Amino acid sequence: MTLIQYWRVLPRPLRIIAGRLVMIVPQMFGVMLVTFLLVRLLPGDPALLMLGNMATEEQIISLREKLGLNLSLYDQFIQYAGNVLHGDLGVSPFTSNPVAVDLLERAPATLELITYAMLLTILIGVTLAVISVVRPRGPIDYGSRVYGLAAGAIPDFWVGLLLIYFFFYVLGWAPAPFGRVDAMVTPPPTVTGFYTIDSLLAGDFAAFFSALGRLLLPVLTLAIVNAGALMKMTKTVFADAYRSEFIRHQRACGLSERTIVRSALRNSLPPIITLVGFLFGFLLGAAVLVETIFSWGGLGQYAVQAVINSDYPALQGFVLVAAAFILVVYLIVDILYELADPRIKV
Amino acid sequence: MSKTMSANQETPLLVVQNLSVQFDGADRPALDNVSFGLRRNEVLGIVGETGSGKSVLARALMNLLSENGRITAGDVLLDNQSILGMDDAELRRLRGGRLALIGTNAKALLDPVETVGSQIVRVLRAHRGGSKRTAWREAVDMLGKVGIVNPERRARAYPHELSGGMAQRVVIAMAMITSPQVVLADDATLGLDATIQVQVLDLLVNRCRELGLGAIVITHDLGIVAHFCDKVAIMREGRIVEIGPVGKFLSGPTQVYSSELLDAAKVRPTPIVSKTPEQTTGVKSATLLDVANLVKHFPIPGTNEVVRAVDDVSFSLARGETLALVGESGSGKTTIGQCLVRLLTTTSGRVTFDGDDLIGMSEREFRQHRRRIQMVFQEPYVALNPRWPVASLIGEPLALLSATESVDKAKRVRELLDAVQLPARLVDAYPHELTAGEQKRVGIARALATRPDFVVFDEPTTALDIRVRAQIIDLVRELQTEMGLSALFITHDLNSVRSLAHFVSVMRHGKILEYGPTETIFASPQEEYTKTLLKAELPIEQSQAQRERGEKRLTGAMR
Amino acid sequence: MKKNGIVLRFLQRPSAVIGLTILALQVIAVIFAPWIVPYSPIEANPLVSLEAPSVAHWLGTDVSGMDIFSRIVYATRINLLISITAVIVAFVIGVPLGLLIGYYRGLLSATVMRLFDFIQSFPVFVLGMALVSVMGQEIWNVAIVLAVLFIPMFARLIRAEVLSLRERPFISAARCSGATDLSIMFRHILPNAMTPAIVQISISIGMAILLTAGLSFVGAGVRMPTPEWGLMVSIGAQQMILGVWWVALFPGLAIVLAVLCFALLGDAAREVADPTARRR
Repeated sequence: MTLIQYWRVLPRPLRIIAGRLVMIVPQMFGVMLVTFLLVRLLPGDPALLMLGNMATEEQIISLREKLGLNLSLYDQFIQYAGNVLHGDLGVSPFTSNPVAVDLLERAPATLELITYAMLLTILIGVTLAVISVVRPRGPIDYGSRVYGLAAGAIPDFWVGLLLIYFFFYVLGWAPAPFGRVDAMVTPPPTVTGFYTIDSLLAGDFAAFFSALGRLLLPVLTLAIVNAGALMKMTKTVFADAYRSEFIRHQRACGLSERTIVRSALRNSLPPIITLVGFLFGFLLGAAVLVETIFSWGGLGQYAVQAVINSDYPALQGFVLVAAAFILVVYLIVDILYELADPRIKV
Repeated sequence: MSKTMSANQETPLLVVQNLSVQFDGADRPALDNVSFGLRRNEVLGIVGETGSGKSVLARALMNLLSENGRITAGDVLLDNQSILGMDDAELRRLRGGRLALIGTNAKALLDPVETVGSQIVRVLRAHRGGSKRTAWREAVDMLGKVGIVNPERRARAYPHELSGGMAQRVVIAMAMITSPQVVLADDATLGLDATIQVQVLDLLVNRCRELGLGAIVITHDLGIVAHFCDKVAIMREGRIVEIGPVGKFLSGPTQVYSSELLDAAKVRPTPIVSKTPEQTTGVKSATLLDVANLVKHFPIPGTNEVVRAVDDVSFSLARGETLALVGESGSGKTTIGQCLVRLLTTTSGRVTFDGDDLIGMSEREFRQHRRRIQMVFQEPYVALNPRWPVASLIGEPLALLSATESVDKAKRVRELLDAVQLPARLVDAYPHELTAGEQKRVGIARALATRPDFVVFDEPTTALDIRVRAQIIDLVRELQTEMGLSALFITHDLNSVRSLAHFVSVMRHGKILEYGPTETIFASPQEEYTKTLLKAELPIEQSQAQRERGEKRLTGAMR
Repeated sequence: MKKNGIVLRFLQRPSAVIGLTILALQVIAVIFAPWIVPYSPIEANPLVSLEAPSVAHWLGTDVSGMDIFSRIVYATRINLLISITAVIVAFVIGVPLGLLIGYYRGLLSATVMRLFDFIQSFPVFVLGMALVSVMGQEIWNVAIVLAVLFIPMFARLIRAEVLSLRERPFISAARCSGATDLSIMFRHILPNAMTPAIVQISISIGMAILLTAGLSFVGAGVRMPTPEWGLMVSIGAQQMILGVWWVALFPGLAIVLAVLCFALLGDAAREVADPTARRR
């Protein structure tokens, strides 16, 4: 009872954040359960599969011991969860590194790719959606409809290949699709892990432009495919707001078109925030494909290697990190959503 | 400005000349050659049923039709300046600046993610510029003037935190803040409780008169016209059928359609006295339904507190009798109805129906009673499954009849259609193909299908057009006399209560305040609240003050 | 609302006509593949490796000399089979599940919802890739995995509809008219809740085609020499940088056409089902 009273006097933003933070604990637990069960799906002896065919009898026995495969399923999960919470995701038999180290090394590459792709996607998607609603039956409206339909049907990996063919092979405008910087350029010293930012921090403009050039095609690939989906959904949401009663009333009150569009956009913000959250999930999946094409050396490519080499600790680790990343994104999305909509009770 | 003051009486402020509006794909114009004038300090009432074009008129006056509508002929002049000839910037200054619109359902008219204060500021600054701070002060000031208590605090509220009446006041403040010349109120009080409606309209009309503005009040309620307007225009199918001073209209409309409307709006004179066998033989009729100490609480989520929606209510009803539960929204009257048909579980209390305890029995046992206790739902459209044709809808309750009493379903459906005066061709129609009145009749037919002893009517007359409402009232009156129906009549429409109920219970905050025969309650209410409620019902006749004002205007115009 | 009216209105939409035309072509490819194709779709012929499109090989050959046109036609079978099976399974399981967890609000329903939350907190492609890779890269495993990924989608869609429908007055009215729980669920709620799920079928098939192709592209789907569009694109991927465009281009086009077909059908279905969508 008294706890509830304390809760009520907290300012609204604090209540929102605290409420959501509490939720993430069981969610993270559920995610661990799924990744744990994932490897249990393996037909045959996980220890043998994890070590590969070259493993000796002793190695298998010691791994079975380490994995606790002789324990009950419940105990195994507890052990797995304990390991994960201590940052131990196992060792990759393929790279011989701890999976956590491997993942940490590659995460910035993927994050940089996704971040820029996201920004471009939002810019394209929201702009097209707003223009096509405000100017219906105009060229942008028709164009965006065709684009929306096409973007939903085009496989991202195929778009990437076409872009490479035209901009690298035919026109020669884009750099070769191998990695994050030119082979001749040394990567900047790591601060944030984002080459574009780190190179600027180091004042190394050669590296900056090289990194920027390398980002161009993969970011474009991701944005072309995903902006279509964001545009279509934003269009629906924004059109609803733009045609709502209160917007009609604002027009009857003589407010300028700019104010009206801004107000409709402000009202569409909560659902758009949710959409952007979902898009992070799509982008992470798409990054797996796009990284492969552009030899990006990020988490996605690592995961594909893991699949091809049947490197299960690595795969399990990647899936866990991906889900955890999405959970954090959803957490932020939920918090922003509730901040953006005063009608939600917390 | 001062020079024109003396010429007020002669030059109308707003002139509408032969205005016609056509919507793409419509077979007839939405507005057809509409002409009228509005002077300063004049309140014009525009009355019409659904589809009469009265809301289109409001939008056309601001040159703000939706995309598929066009003004095909005519002109609108404000202060001798044509509105149709204005460019975008002039139109923006006009809308909300010189001509202010107050629409229906204020909560939907306000931006849900902005505080109401900043929305008023936005309007003010769009027309007059100025700093945010002074605009805010003016907005707060205006909120106070439209009767909002504690305006500083309320200005910082979001629309969802306001009640419907309060939101309507905010919309009025938004309209008034720019000191417009003409105010258009388009069904501005629809859906508000009667007491709130009168307060809001009083405020609106008084402010208009203080400032000498012209006002157009668009409504379907002739009581509002009688009480607040100087002049009235009756609209039908895009045309003005009749226009003239309110007093003259009420005493004798010149057109057939207007007199039909006027008749339909008036109270049916005698409350029905159903002649059940017991009554004709002089024996006091048996109690059919007895409700004792009924309580219904709703928990408030996240707390241990409850809303006492129904708080210790008792009443009883004899066979063939109709009891009306009247009260404003939130009084708990609908909750009682839902408890009686077991759509809600009752918190405590006893409901005895023909000797059986309804609350204590299991769902299975209650099913046996369902055929005897039926309910007519409030909103006709949403209470019908949109994917079912009329025949299935009316036939559904017949499954409640046990095998021995099973009837020829098709035949019974035809009988029922006949009973509610619907043509037989509608059996295959779907709800969206019916008019609101027809939907209501289907709802009534459903409830009558199993020949119940007792029917709960939940707001049977709300949201219906004047003539449809009158037809539904007549239908229910016939059913009462023909079938000897006992009914609980839940409504806030006092006018219909007088035509339908033998007894009235006045409810407030989940309690019954006052109970008695309909005549007695209406003639001499005891409780203060009942008096307020009755006063808020606007009779279709002019008050003394209004009549005098009309006479003064008439002589003023002649001079 | 009348049945034949819906079909007619559906057929009047250009998007439906285009969609149905592509679908008809695909059905022909699926049924008559052996009679259409000039070469075996799985036999390598090193003599004609990487030949450009010509009269002999309409769409050229890939690195091992397999005829691309023949493989594309045959792949229609695999790709449509996997996608349509997965979606139908997901629909058949997801819809009743959604109805139940929407109608009955108990601990069990809450648990199922949490389970969906967990599944959906993984990026679809990532989880699909991991599941197929641990289950074994078989055609049927791909279909099963896709079905598992789509079940929560259908169930949530139906549940959301049910949650709003069950509060509608016509449900209370039906209860007063003596409708039982079963009757309310299946005769009142389900018919009103189905529209979005039916529209979703078409859209999901498109998504399934893209996912299948993507999985095969990264080597987590079906394996060589099975003809599959995504796999064919991945074979052509290395050559793209060298200017050999036809190996990856044509199977990619096949994917685009197939997905477009189902997207168009879904759009047309939505517009017919929801008249408000037309005003845009």
